[in-house]
Amino acid sequence: MSIHAGTGAEQRIVDDRDVSVEAFVVEKADYYTPIFELLQRGKLPRWHMNIWGLLLPWFWAAMRGTWIMFWIALALDVLAIVCLMQVVKFSPLLAEAQANAADNVTLIARYSGWIQSFGTVGVIALIAGRLWMGSSANRFYYGQYTRWRTDKGVANGVNMRRVILAAVIIALVAPLTIYRASQQRLDERACLNQIRAGETVTALLAQHGVSDVAELLPKLSARADDLAAEKASLDAISDRTEAQNTRRSGIRKELRGAERDLSTAEDFVAISRRDRFDCWFIDDFPTVARIDPPEDVVYRSVPDEEAIAAGDEDATKVIRIVKDPVEGRVVNIFTYSSESIDKSINYLRANFAGIFDAITHVLRQSLIRVEVAFMQTPWPVVSFLFIALSWAFTGKGTTIFVASSLAFLAVFELWQVAMQTMALVVVATAICILVGLPVGIWMAKNKVARVITEPILDVMQTIPSLSYLVPAVAFFGISQPPAVIATVIFAIPPMVKLTALGIRQVPESTKEAALAFGSSERQLLRKVELPMAIPSIMAGLNQTIMLALSMATISAFIGAEGLGALVTASLGDAQAGKGLLAGLAIALVAMMIDRILKGIRASFSRI
Amino acid sequence: MSEAVVEIDGVWKVFGERAKDAMDAIRTRGLSKADVLDEFGAVVGVKDASFRVGEGEIFCLMGLSGSGKSTLVRHINRLIEPSAGTIRVLGDDIGKMKPDALRAVRGTKIGMVFQNMALLPHRSVRDNIGFALELRGMDAYHRSKLADQALETVSLHGYGDRLPSELSGGMQQRVGLARALAADPEILLMDEPFSALDPLIRRNLQDEFLGLSANLKKTTVFITHDLDEAIRMGDHIGIMKDGEIVQIGTAEDIVTAPADDYVADFVAGISRLKLVSAAKIMVPLDKYQSKRGPLDMSQDHPVARPEDDLDTLVGLSTHSELPVLIKADGDTIVGVVDKNTLLRGLQGSAEE
Repeated sequence: MSIHAGTGAEQRIVDDRDVSVEAFVVEKADYYTPIFELLQRGKLPRWHMNIWGLLLPWFWAAMRGTWIMFWIALALDVLAIVCLMQVVKFSPLLAEAQANAADNVTLIARYSGWIQSFGTVGVIALIAGRLWMGSSANRFYYGQYTRWRTDKGVANGVNMRRVILAAVIIALVAPLTIYRASQQRLDERACLNQIRAGETVTALLAQHGVSDVAELLPKLSARADDLAAEKASLDAISDRTEAQNTRRSGIRKELRGAERDLSTAEDFVAISRRDRFDCWFIDDFPTVARIDPPEDVVYRSVPDEEAIAAGDEDATKVIRIVKDPVEGRVVNIFTYSSESIDKSINYLRANFAGIFDAITHVLRQSLIRVEVAFMQTPWPVVSFLFIALSWAFTGKGTTIFVASSLAFLAVFELWQVAMQTMALVVVATAICILVGLPVGIWMAKNKVARVITEPILDVMQTIPSLSYLVPAVAFFGISQPPAVIATVIFAIPPMVKLTALGIRQVPESTKEAALAFGSSERQLLRKVELPMAIPSIMAGLNQTIMLALSMATISAFIGAEGLGALVTASLGDAQAGKGLLAGLAIALVAMMIDRILKGIRASFSRI
Repeated sequence: MSEAVVEIDGVWKVFGERAKDAMDAIRTRGLSKADVLDEFGAVVGVKDASFRVGEGEIFCLMGLSGSGKSTLVRHINRLIEPSAGTIRVLGDDIGKMKPDALRAVRGTKIGMVFQNMALLPHRSVRDNIGFALELRGMDAYHRSKLADQALETVSLHGYGDRLPSELSGGMQQRVGLARALAADPEILLMDEPFSALDPLIRRNLQDEFLGLSANLKKTTVFITHDLDEAIRMGDHIGIMKDGEIVQIGTAEDIVTAPADDYVADFVAGISRLKLVSAAKIMVPLDKYQSKRGPLDMSQDHPVARPEDDLDTLVGLSTHSELPVLIKADGDTIVGVVDKNTLLRGLQGSAEE
């Protein structure tokens, strides 16, 4: 790098990163310089081979730092070997089937077919892959060269450290994959049985006070023998006393237990190293921990006798009922956590019933009001309002569309149900605005808030709605109120995100100008940021309404009424026609609202 | 210079997360800009800047982009907090003001014009101009009256109900100017107001602003990266380089006596015709006579005054073969300018 002092006021730093290929390839410049030149001119023939790329593509690519090619070469070779491994896997099966050829005609045909096709694909993948690598190596390398010229971070030259890294990658990826390809699918229960056997043996070791399985086995077999002998002697007695009979059935039970322990221990010893390996590495992720389940507690709200006696008639109290644990039940981490969550929901529900009931009440009341507004307003009035809105804000075409959609709802007698859906959407949207707007503003203004809110919003947007319908029911009962909650969770993220985006998009210079004329933070928000964010906020509102409508179907699963209920009912009764018509009605409602809102948005965004 | 309206004294601005530490290090250890960047990852935006602007004066801050001139001017209304130094506006220390008082000063005493106009796109031109008044809580009636007055001042009468997007760039900047003038502030801060406009409109607006300024007598700090503009507009010019003010003076001072090579480089291409006065290049009468022999006073010498610029002298000498006599008050001849002196003066090498 050198500094050329310009004659003008500015100084320029000139980078010596060179035009010459040599600085890039470092080694074998004589080979690459003419090749790169040919590539630049578009004259390098496709059949031209880089011999290293042909023979050891991943080694060459790693050494030169051409990582894209390294991964492609590795993938191609592993793919080819995996195909060839299928031949290895099926050949013994074929031989086994051929031992009894008459009975296994279909099996033989199937196995030989597989062996043949996998073999062919494997060989072709290996040869064609290598040829392609050989002829593409120089092209990849040239691509890397052009990137390197503008970006110092791109690898250049020859570096053996990269080869070591590549070797580690290959060692991690290739052997296990290839080994897995050569094996039959593991028995699903095999691994669980292994774990259980291990647990039993651990318990037995503790019980018998020995530290090694080798010592345990003779003890177990001796005990089984003792019990068998005692049983035999009891069996031999022809007229047994009452006590002897009791003893005999007791021994029978013990003997069964002892034999089971013995066989489990023997099984455990018999598990081969390879089976253990298979269970740990090539099947499902191994179960790492099996723990005691959480305490089985139920919280129940019961009448509080003392308080009732004291005069408070509706008094309740929460009691805690602990159930006896199931003997020997151990669970994995997933089950432990899910049961703990169940318990906490139960706890919250029992202890804070008042709060949840109050929320449910407010939701239900507001829903009833809005439903009344939609359903008891005479249909000519509602349709007139819709048509008038679309006439005022959109064009003729949209108005015709809105009118025909309304006609569809009316003629198919879906009017009342559609209005129920509308009521749900309106209430949910109102909550979304009331909550989403302030949160969005907060998120735009505060970095900490952004860091906290963003992942929560992402979860809200992506978590399957069916998975939070259950807790919603637990807290808010069934029918409309939990449906509103579920809808709000699903539909609020765009409102929040687009409000924040709109506010953050206000140019710094505009805000600076407002400040320069003496604006306070509040005035800045009210007179500059919010008005300028309105197009974005309206886009968020639009999306929120669309999401709320799509949620209307799902929330029918927890008893929300409306068009969604028709869809879910038709799902239960396998009535395709009913479901399709109701679905179409939802789509039409959504499109009507969307078109009208778009018109309103357009009239806002004159700026 | 009368009493200073804007007075900036030893202002430093250091940007970066560890700006405070960096500032302390600069104070105690006298680190250079490069050291500060190395050690604290902090950038020195303004380095020990001081200047005063008198009442009704136009002070031009001139420098290339990145020289810290926009940063410096934002200290005057405290859009940027200084790392060190004091800023006095109309005698009050702006750094010590409470938020309310500061807002009041911004709203009533200081108007600002921005390079990119920064108009509010959702408001009409009139509402944009009345913005500062609205923030102060003035009612709509008075606001629109004042806004219309301001519109008239910038010759945009009748455009009040348009949206800014409906106006051309030059018109938008007039609106920006009107917005700054509407609250009738004592001080105008102009941050490269005309840089984004095309040359013809720029010149037009420069002239208009000069006219306005002559009438309104607003104390102005004018930022530009264009030396021609600085010379046209500024009573005084401050030249900035890498956050430092390298020279302050009148246009003539700077052109005839640049402080360093950097400034000299800048002024090299500037036409001296309108800048340099006869007093700067004339040869004193006795010196002239001792060299060239006595002047024949009977002949009809062209006559000029010491403050006349080179342009005038060129005009005079094209009509006569004789050297120009420079006469001060009371008709005493103080100097002589012959053709050689004039040509040298134009070229910029006054001494022989």
